[in-house]
Amino acid sequence: MTTESTAGAAVPRTLAEELRQRDDVSLATLLRARPDLLNPVPSDLTQLATRAGTRASVLRALGRLDAFALQAAEALAVAPEPASYETLRALLAGDDGDPAVDAALPGAVGALRAQALVWGGERLRLVRTARELLAPSPQHPSPTGLGPTVAEATSGMSPTRLQQLLDAAGLPSTHDPVSAVAALTGLFTDRTRMSALLDEAPMDALTVLGRLIWGPPYGQVTADPASHLRWLLDRGLLVPTSPGTVVLPREAALHLRAGRAHRTTCPLPPEPVIAAEHRPDGVDATAAGQASLAVGMVEELLKEWHEGGPAVLRAGGLSVRDLKRTAVALDVPEPMAAFWVELAYAAGLLASDGGYEGAHGDGESTGRRAEERYAATPAYDDWLELSPAARWARLATAWLTATRTAGLVGGRDGKDRVLSALGPHLDRSAAPEVRRRVLGLLAALPEGAAPTPDSVLELLRWERPLRVGTTTDPGEDLRARLARWTLDETELLGVTGRGALSAQGRALLAGSAESGSAAAAGSVTPAEALAAAEASAAAKALAAAEAGAAGEAGAAGAATEAVPSAAEAAGSQAAEAAGSQLEARLAALLAPLLPEPLDHVLLQADLTAVAPGPLERPLAETLGVLADVESKGGATVYRFTPGSVRRALDAGRSASDLHTFLAEHSRTPVPQPLSYLIDDVARRHGHLRIGTASAYVRCDDDSVLAEILADKRAAALRLRRLAPTVLAAQADPAALLGGLRAMGFAPAAETAEGDVLIARAHAHRTPPRTAPTPVPEGPPAPNDALLGAAVRAIRAGDMASTAPKRPAPAAATPAAPGEPPRTTSAETLATMQAAVMTGETLWIGYVNADGAASQRVIAPVRVEGGFVTAFDHTADEVRTYPLHRITGVAELAEDAD
Amino acid sequence: MNGPLIVQSDKTLLLEVDHERADACRRAIAPFAELERAPEHIHTYRLTPLGLWNARAAGHDAEQVVDALVDFSRYPVPHALLVDIAETMDRYGRLTLSKHPAHGLVLTTTDRPVLEEVLKSKRVAPLVGERIDADSVIVHPSERGQIKQTLLKLGWPAEDLAGYVDGEAHAIELAEDGWALRPYQNQAVENFWHGGSGVVVLPCGAGKTLVGAGAMAQAKATTLILVTNTVSARQWKHELVKRTSLTEDEIGEYSGTKKEIRPVTIATYQVLTTKRKGVYPHLELFDSRDWGLIVYDEVHLLPAPVFKFTADLQARRRLGLTATLVREDGRESDVFSLIGPKRFDAPWKEIEAQGYIAPADCVEVRVNLTDSERLAYATAEAEEKYRFCATTATKRKVTEALVRKHAGEQTLVIGQYIDQLDELGEHLNAPVIKGETTNAVREKLFDSFREGEISVLVVSKVANFSIDLPEATVAIQVSGTFGSRQEEAQRLGRVLRPKADGHEARFYSVVARDTIDQDFAAHRQRFLAEQGYAYRIADADDILAG
Repeated sequence: MTTESTAGAAVPRTLAEELRQRDDVSLATLLRARPDLLNPVPSDLTQLATRAGTRASVLRALGRLDAFALQAAEALAVAPEPASYETLRALLAGDDGDPAVDAALPGAVGALRAQALVWGGERLRLVRTARELLAPSPQHPSPTGLGPTVAEATSGMSPTRLQQLLDAAGLPSTHDPVSAVAALTGLFTDRTRMSALLDEAPMDALTVLGRLIWGPPYGQVTADPASHLRWLLDRGLLVPTSPGTVVLPREAALHLRAGRAHRTTCPLPPEPVIAAEHRPDGVDATAAGQASLAVGMVEELLKEWHEGGPAVLRAGGLSVRDLKRTAVALDVPEPMAAFWVELAYAAGLLASDGGYEGAHGDGESTGRRAEERYAATPAYDDWLELSPAARWARLATAWLTATRTAGLVGGRDGKDRVLSALGPHLDRSAAPEVRRRVLGLLAALPEGAAPTPDSVLELLRWERPLRVGTTTDPGEDLRARLARWTLDETELLGVTGRGALSAQGRALLAGSAESGSAAAAGSVTPAEALAAAEASAAAKALAAAEAGAAGEAGAAGAATEAVPSAAEAAGSQAAEAAGSQLEARLAALLAPLLPEPLDHVLLQADLTAVAPGPLERPLAETLGVLADVESKGGATVYRFTPGSVRRALDAGRSASDLHTFLAEHSRTPVPQPLSYLIDDVARRHGHLRIGTASAYVRCDDDSVLAEILADKRAAALRLRRLAPTVLAAQADPAALLGGLRAMGFAPAAETAEGDVLIARAHAHRTPPRTAPTPVPEGPPAPNDALLGAAVRAIRAGDMASTAPKRPAPAAATPAAPGEPPRTTSAETLATMQAAVMTGETLWIGYVNADGAASQRVIAPVRVEGGFVTAFDHTADEVRTYPLHRITGVAELAEDAD
Repeated sequence: MNGPLIVQSDKTLLLEVDHERADACRRAIAPFAELERAPEHIHTYRLTPLGLWNARAAGHDAEQVVDALVDFSRYPVPHALLVDIAETMDRYGRLTLSKHPAHGLVLTTTDRPVLEEVLKSKRVAPLVGERIDADSVIVHPSERGQIKQTLLKLGWPAEDLAGYVDGEAHAIELAEDGWALRPYQNQAVENFWHGGSGVVVLPCGAGKTLVGAGAMAQAKATTLILVTNTVSARQWKHELVKRTSLTEDEIGEYSGTKKEIRPVTIATYQVLTTKRKGVYPHLELFDSRDWGLIVYDEVHLLPAPVFKFTADLQARRRLGLTATLVREDGRESDVFSLIGPKRFDAPWKEIEAQGYIAPADCVEVRVNLTDSERLAYATAEAEEKYRFCATTATKRKVTEALVRKHAGEQTLVIGQYIDQLDELGEHLNAPVIKGETTNAVREKLFDSFREGEISVLVVSKVANFSIDLPEATVAIQVSGTFGSRQEEAQRLGRVLRPKADGHEARFYSVVARDTIDQDFAAHRQRFLAEQGYAYRIADADDILAG
């Protein structure tokens, strides 16, 4: 690495000083890379430096490092501070050197420096927090597997013992421990002398060292170690840390490792393994085929939910049963069904109706229903009007930028709640970035090349090896899972075909980068804006990873507010425009690859119709009503059944309509059994008529009924003649009776069996009811447990009320006799803390979560975080009370008895 | 991208038959895809694990399958489907059963985790013995069939390379005097022999017996033939004497009436599955001779106990003969694992096109119930409904009219219900063959029908299987076993044998309109409609009028 451009200036003593020396561009780079430092904007560079050194910020920055930069940081953390570039190089490349490391190291150090994780001129210093995080300690073993330095390991050792070590190692004795440690360190770091020393070691001792070299560096020894162990212990090659445990000092381990801090370094990102190379046009065609399936799938889903989809769970989302049902209806596995549902949601094609009926024209429809349901949005109807290619483009762009991740559906979150499709807690802000990254990786490969999924994940892991905010899933971190899902989803969606990125996919990726840059800001150049967009996405990713783990979605929002809002507003408009341009471009790319819609089907004698390709929409719709779909894909197989034909007749088509329709759209003559089927069903269709009436009028004399119908006064009864001797009325029987009587007739009511109903006052009765069960006097006899508890409570209350109390301080509110005084929270706290020190027993007034007040006698053990942990004499166990629920406290007199 | 094939994501393949490359495509996909439906324009094939494994057993690999699909497909083939095919096919042959010189029958694997997985299964554990090394385990020879069945259920079908015993040698030659095996029959025999064991699928009337005879002539060993009933057994015997060097004395019949065990023995399923005091007394038949070949006639009817016996016979060559692999009980996988993979299959229509079976005209005659019948039908108990509408009096009139129309032609009237048949027999003045008719009488009637002495015969379902009525040109079905598809196929088969004068066969199915009879009929016809036999529908009134 070349020296800093600021060589002329004084060597900085602190990070702040160095930042002061940096130019604006490099400061901007820092802020871009670590946008959390900008929130809020620091007042000066000292504050910036301080903030850059905070634990949370450093953790995020470390999480963004690639594997090699992280290894460099880890190496710096085990190197003496400050370390020269040469030292660092030696730690990474080892004594023998490694050209790959030499080539990659300047970049890695540059990245660390740009992120202000490393500072200092020639002498590299790791930011202290980073050093603390990465340096090995017994609690947090470092990935390097190195132990403490000689100095750290021997810090508790007696000076005499140190001198003994020197003696055994063949070094002259020194006058103080510090120089003794220095001498020992010197020996261990001197390759020649150390080799000479180890040459004398017994074989067994070397075996022991061999086991500890690559870590963990700690080993167990018995109280009386064997001779070979004693040999090592005597020379400080193993240093006792606690009884029974020894550690291999860092310098010794480094010697044995030939200076390497890591067993393997990974200066270069792993190459993706190409599983297969397909012809690019084949890839595009396969992807296009899948794209049309994807569009079809979304359409089918929403057709399935056409008349109101499943209900929204109270906590939001689809119930497991509804998802299952949807999966069955779509004939896909559940996770895939979840993906399609989420995709439609992300594209704004479906949403919860909020419990309101859709606006269907008539006024009543806006009434609120009891339950919310999922349904297609008006945007869906617009979407349907688009060409298939444009429909796909809308889905693909929505997918790429969505933060909702369908892959999580069915899993559990940190609080062990099941994550449901369309439900809350599915947003992972890392998702869009990972998707872009995966597509980016695919795009970097030659056209038509399909990498193995594992190698893609490997590469992603190299780019972000550190797991920030470890996820609930111990197996794989969120990024890897997102990447895996992305690979599956690209295939489903037709962004890739046979595992390789299609031309449409490339355009999607390129276009989204552009619109992303448009969103960033006006002043920055496109390239920088792209970087910024990516960086902010990265920030979101980390925040989300943490938030996701904690189950707090709120935290995710905070980090995203990095960009000044004015620029954002301007940018979003630009992004919108760019977005629709992108969709148009994608559609134009895809359209020629999709098969032309057909206007005919093949009808067969086994009562099936085969559409050997996509059908024109009106044809498909009619056929969908007239026949049941049996098989989907590139072609569609329809089957005509009596039920499906009846459905078409119900939809208002006549048999002759259907015959004409089939004849028009069939290339071959309509098979006789099919015509027969239609005629057969049509013959019986509508033979029986069903309607509703509230009451009827029956009379053997047609003319009387004719007279009633002709009478204007009968209009209100809404009568209709069903048969010569029957009128149906929309009015209820009582109104009908009254109406006809008013018209001068003498009607009689009829029972359901047709008998004349005798009108008489009839008694009012309730529906069947059981007699009340007897309530015994007093409560049931108490059992032993209840009695025991009661006695204890009484005793405690007694103790509380009879114990002599100190007079309440004057400031305290006078309390009713037998009740603890009301004290302010400050006093309560002070009294509690004092009681912890003295071990006194206190008498408190306490209101529990249900608002019930009680008095308790407690012996506080610990006061922290607004809680007091105490032994409760009343309950006879240790309990924890929130301080704010304690209404007052009084000390018991010392000589209570 | 203008192929004749459309690959659907639900694993069906649609083949456009009028396409110029349709024939090439059919040949390419036939080894691994099951023909499901063959109506006039678009044939439907289905990819099933069994079908793919059948292809593997026949030596095809996943690459060929994928190439065939990609090559002939009109639209891009879904990638997931290709992956699935490769994975499924890859599962076959990971495990093999073979003979080990020292340990006898062993199960070996090329993929250790698979062996570990199957050995963990509780169902496999009792079937295997000691582990020889990491990749192989001893299998008890008696469990050869069991383990194949179990492994198939676990999704890891084992390839059986353990070979066969030759059995007791017995000279059998085809007596090809003035006739010869048809090309497809030869092909079927060859495929079977090459594969060792397996099933040959040929339509009714396509000469399955001769395939059996051909296989016997290949094996030249003692043979056990399992058939559905005694009549069928006699016909096998008759045919074997006529077509091979075997003499009457060399062929034994093992049935309810006779218990002969000869070098070639024909046994009925019924006698084998007779149970006395909880045991099968006739099982010793399988061990009574050192059989070199076992032939299963009508595999799709193989009763469940026979599967169990077959599991113990895995060391002997097995030939299954059937018109359809469709089993109403869904035990296709047992056929695959115990008898063997499908070795030969020829679509019905193809053989018809070659002129080996007669073309048929299928007509569904719809009969209107009279008003009083409709009322009675509506009030009938649910379990009586089918019987009621299937035996309605109107059907009788229509049947009589049909018989009159085809007067002079050999006509079979087939039905389910004895009362109905008796009544028909009375009205048509024709003999009735039913369950209680003795075999002697049956054969006498069949003979005189064959000779043309009687031209109308009324038969119950006893005649469903394997009776040979060469000159029947008209079949009238008045009722059936509810919705049984294979029964319909069998009955159609009765008239499909090539006629001396090339006359077109007629198959009438008389159905009561708007009743469950019509629903059952639709179900029954499905198999044939899918095989390309389009049913015409005719009104009973037209027939009565004309």
